[in-house]
Amino acid sequence: MPIRARSQRVSLLIMIAVSCALLLLGRAEAYVFDQARDKVSEATAPVLEILSTPIAIVRDWIEGVQGFFDVYAENQRLKDENARLLEWKATALRMEQTASRYQALLDVQLEPTIGYVTGRVIADSGGPFVHTYIVNAGRKHGVQVGQGVIDTEGLIGRIVGVGNSASRVLIVNDLNSRVPVLIEPGHYRAIMVGDNSSTPRLEFLPDEVDIEQGDRVITSGHGGLLPPGLPVGEVVIEKEGTYFVKPYGDQARVDFVRILSYEFPREIEVEEDLLSESRNTPVTPKRNVAQNGE
Amino acid sequence: MASIRSSGSAVRVTGLGEAVVPFLVCIFSVILTMLPYGLSSSLVVAPSFAFIAIFYWTLFRPNLMHPILVFVVGLYQDLLSMGPLGLWATTYLVLYGYFLFRRQYFAGRSFASLWFSFGIGVLLLTFVSWAISSIFFTQLVSPRPAIIQGLFTFFLYPFYARFLAYFNRRISRHM
Repeated sequence: MPIRARSQRVSLLIMIAVSCALLLLGRAEAYVFDQARDKVSEATAPVLEILSTPIAIVRDWIEGVQGFFDVYAENQRLKDENARLLEWKATALRMEQTASRYQALLDVQLEPTIGYVTGRVIADSGGPFVHTYIVNAGRKHGVQVGQGVIDTEGLIGRIVGVGNSASRVLIVNDLNSRVPVLIEPGHYRAIMVGDNSSTPRLEFLPDEVDIEQGDRVITSGHGGLLPPGLPVGEVVIEKEGTYFVKPYGDQARVDFVRILSYEFPREIEVEEDLLSESRNTPVTPKRNVAQNGE
Repeated sequence: MASIRSSGSAVRVTGLGEAVVPFLVCIFSVILTMLPYGLSSSLVVAPSFAFIAIFYWTLFRPNLMHPILVFVVGLYQDLLSMGPLGLWATTYLVLYGYFLFRRQYFAGRSFASLWFSFGIGVLLLTFVSWAISSIFFTQLVSPRPAIIQGLFTFFLYPFYARFLAYFNRRISRHM
């Protein structure tokens, strides 16, 4: 018995040393274990998929029962909202027409249309220091690393790992998350940094900014990761000079998410004759025609 | 496996099957914590089922809870959750060591007393995991989600321990 106890103690110390070594190694070379992570998620995905189904059903059921009690108020609210939205629709149509006329006049480079894959969240990180989801859509559905993930309200995160039929989403709140954003209407650039709280922080803002509580935050598309213009959230000011973002994406009830597929126009093709004509004339990028012909 | 040794008699095949029950329950517990309860990532975190399982088995079946198994459970959680690799492995091993060290004290205690001890374990778990994360990310990580998870885990204990006791009764006494 004492021999066994001692051997247990020795192997405990060895195992603690091994896991500390893993922490150090992971800190230095984070990508080393990426493949292992993808394999483990891939292997566990079927179990998660089965176990998460009853939870989704129960959650829907609870929401259904809750919804039943405020049907009347909800209906009233929706009617009001509908009336407001109809006005917005008229405005939007008018502006769309104006914008397309201007675009035609200015020969604007159109952004390619965004396609998407819908997936269900089958797991979250379960830990208090990491915020990720596993979604049941993977390589065979066309998911790739780097793609943005949204729910009906706004940006949720982006894809950081892809298996054959499951992929992993890094949520904007995670400590590793950095999203280039614009703050409207001032059009300020910033980086939204996840800080393990429900409201990510805005960093790298210009010195003099005029940002107010509730200003709209959208993705800027800088850095070639996410398409520009995705709604992200609104500005929350806790004290002067520090700005946070309250994401639109409701993380308390994420169920289905959309994974955006989007091709950045990476290569700027320069027309031959322009180059041969003169080196001094400004080079205009070749017009990028939207893939779906829109 | 060095730990699977029954007192005197050779381990039967069924015995081996029984011997891996605690480990499998721990793995299952990790998966349970990962399920999307709609409690959300940043606001509320699901309770740590795996920690309850590790506490329970360390107290009641220390012979079946070898350090290597605790390491594998932690590593599995690290790989699946995309967190720093080694975070939960280290945390669980440290707590496992603490429980093993205090095992004499736990012997023959009442349920309430065990629950209280578990509460101290949860406090340590929250602190150790928060400290490792803060060092790893070289910043003071917000401890709020960890504290919420700790509270959830503490209050889940009586229910989940009952579930674990069901398995414990099915493992033969000699293990």
